[in-house]
Amino acid sequence: MIGWEFPPAKTGGLGTHCYELVKNLSKKNINVTLLIPKRTENVKHDIPNVEIIEVGSTALNPYNTTSSDNKTFEKGYGWNFFEEVKAFNRKCVEVAKNKKFDVIHCHDWMTSSAGLELRKMTGKKMVFTVHSTEYDRTASIYPMNFIVDIEKKGVRESDLIITVSEGMRKQLIDRYAADEKKINVIYNGIDSSKYFGLTKKGNNGTVLFLGRLTNQKGTWFFLHAAKKVLEKKKDVTFIVAGQGEQMPEMIKLAIDLNIMNRFIFTGYLPENEVLRAYAAADVYVMPSVSEPFGITALEAIASGTPVIVSKNAGVAEKITHCFKVDFWDTHEMANEIIGLLRYPVLKECMRKNSYKEINNFGWDRVADQTIAVYRRAL
Amino acid sequence: MTSLCFYFQVHQPMRLNKFSVFAKDAPYFDDERNRTYFERVARKCYLPTNKLLLDLINTHDKKFKIAFSLTGVFIEQCKKFYPEVLETFKELAKTGNVEFLNETYYHSLAALFSVNEFKEQIKLHRKAMLELFNQKPKVFRNTEAMYSNNIAKTVESMGYKGIITEGHESILGWRSPNYLYNPHECNKISVLLRNYKLSDDIGFRFSAKWWEEYPLTADKYSSWLSNCEGQCINLFIDYETFGEHQWEDTGIFNFLRYLPTEVLKYQNLDFKTPSEIIKSNKAVGIIDVPHTISWADIQRDTSAWLENDMQKLAFEEIAKLENDIKKHPELLHVWRLLQTSDHFYYMCTKWFADGDVHKYFNPYNSPYDAFINYMNILQDLRQKLGLNESG
Repeated sequence: MIGWEFPPAKTGGLGTHCYELVKNLSKKNINVTLLIPKRTENVKHDIPNVEIIEVGSTALNPYNTTSSDNKTFEKGYGWNFFEEVKAFNRKCVEVAKNKKFDVIHCHDWMTSSAGLELRKMTGKKMVFTVHSTEYDRTASIYPMNFIVDIEKKGVRESDLIITVSEGMRKQLIDRYAADEKKINVIYNGIDSSKYFGLTKKGNNGTVLFLGRLTNQKGTWFFLHAAKKVLEKKKDVTFIVAGQGEQMPEMIKLAIDLNIMNRFIFTGYLPENEVLRAYAAADVYVMPSVSEPFGITALEAIASGTPVIVSKNAGVAEKITHCFKVDFWDTHEMANEIIGLLRYPVLKECMRKNSYKEINNFGWDRVADQTIAVYRRAL
Repeated sequence: MTSLCFYFQVHQPMRLNKFSVFAKDAPYFDDERNRTYFERVARKCYLPTNKLLLDLINTHDKKFKIAFSLTGVFIEQCKKFYPEVLETFKELAKTGNVEFLNETYYHSLAALFSVNEFKEQIKLHRKAMLELFNQKPKVFRNTEAMYSNNIAKTVESMGYKGIITEGHESILGWRSPNYLYNPHECNKISVLLRNYKLSDDIGFRFSAKWWEEYPLTADKYSSWLSNCEGQCINLFIDYETFGEHQWEDTGIFNFLRYLPTEVLKYQNLDFKTPSEIIKSNKAVGIIDVPHTISWADIQRDTSAWLENDMQKLAFEEIAKLENDIKKHPELLHVWRLLQTSDHFYYMCTKWFADGDVHKYFNPYNSPYDAFINYMNILQDLRQKLGLNESG
């Protein structure tokens, strides 16, 4: 398996997915060799049956020397970043060709080139999980053509494809001309034991946004919805947790909208504080412009918090006890936020019922379904 | 002789407008949507079924008889959206073979919060029946067949001879629903109990391919009826069953068309209206119902409307306005329209995730949307009553 992130490094759902997947595959006696980029913090794990090889800056690969003084990959797509990705893929092939395996499993475009190369060299089948496309990550604003091309190639030449939602399946068929028969939808999971659960909580009037501050995640819409909420209800605090390229822009927007005094921008939060933020909030809002799945919604629910999610989010296909709203409809978003804050019975009903729903979302199921796809590939 | 008693429930709620917390001077009711639904059901159900029933009454030597209950909310929409439908009901009334029952004008849950309000709404409906069909109803059916000892007593005190509810084991025990009973501590009024198995064979199972009796034919069904013992078999069915819940291509209209002929082949069967059944039979026992039952869902209680805390809060809040509303007669009608049971039904979370019957013509995406919308309207109404707290 070739991955991109692994705890403690994590910027999105892909990292969580890879970690939980290999952990649960291991429980089912599947041996996994996982190749991931080397980062500043080393991976520590004690998962049996799993070998994790950090490929990267200590590479033998001469093309990779540029990054020796800059060991952390950044998501701000610099030229350097693309060279890093290429180098990583080349290195993965080097390492993997001496390994024994039955199936190749890649995650997103950063790993697919190596997978395809190995497929050609070894004749082994390749499974390609698409967590998000370039169109998702850029909210369709200036998608990079050469990334789209890599994605297209991966979709076309891999043997089987896994998508994290029905919506993503459709996107691959419509936009990438994927062969329908190759695609398997496997929804992401949640390990709810990590979160606070339905512990009793009062109302403190807080509304949480948690995610990268990017076009994709719809932070802009969150601020505009907040503006509308504050027109009707004064004592509300809005928390924007996370970092991202839009941070300065969003702070400026909050000032311009004259609502900065009701806002807290936390910046990067370590995991234990993320858990607390989820549990402390009265409402979690995920107004993503594009969201192939949206694990954070499940995390909020696992923390006993009701959620408002973008209609187009993959998670909205499976969770029924939540509000589903068009990301641009800040009016309706504000209406729902006010409703949840104003009527504790609404909040209680929703959080209790949605908490029951995430029982069906174990990673154990994800592993089972993934194994079924491996079997199909063989 | 066992009498078949057909009674059809005819109701369409006035669904609410999308009403956000920011709305100003927006209408409470969604005329557009209500008209669309009404016209659709009129074309698929009301018009063709009324015509068929009229034919059946006329071609069976007046031996085919039925009863209806039309809610006031239905009648108002009828007048507004499709007056022709009301005319066909009037024609049916003129045959003399159709009895119109009484209920709360607003298809409301008033019986559960105020005896006074309950009686007021019954009187409004009684007046409407008299004006439209020149009938003074003698038999009462409460919203969704909600029934308890107290409700029966109130209805008896208003001079009714009969009251309708569900013939469920939870109140009957080993006894059959095919007899008249007296309510607990009542002797002037009889209870007509719905035979839910035979009613649901038509209402729910008619087109169910998993059912071992599928397909249901008029002669097979008549043979079952003929084998029943008792004074009466009460077949109480939602009228929309014909053509809407069961579409025309299921054969539901043909089933109905041949049913009277098949039934009348049996010497031991005839058709009677609810009042006729009460007149020609004596109650065989007493039923004691301390807690309110209904004909809804598997539980047969009030949980479809008043189970979760959102439903309870919304209901409490609307009920609470009873005294204030009297000072604003211009808002009385609106307040009562907001009591229609369907508004609470839409907030039901019981089987929401399974996508079940509760979805039928439901204007909301979720029970939560239904709740917020209702509460926003209520907030607006309170504003108009000068009652609003800020924040």
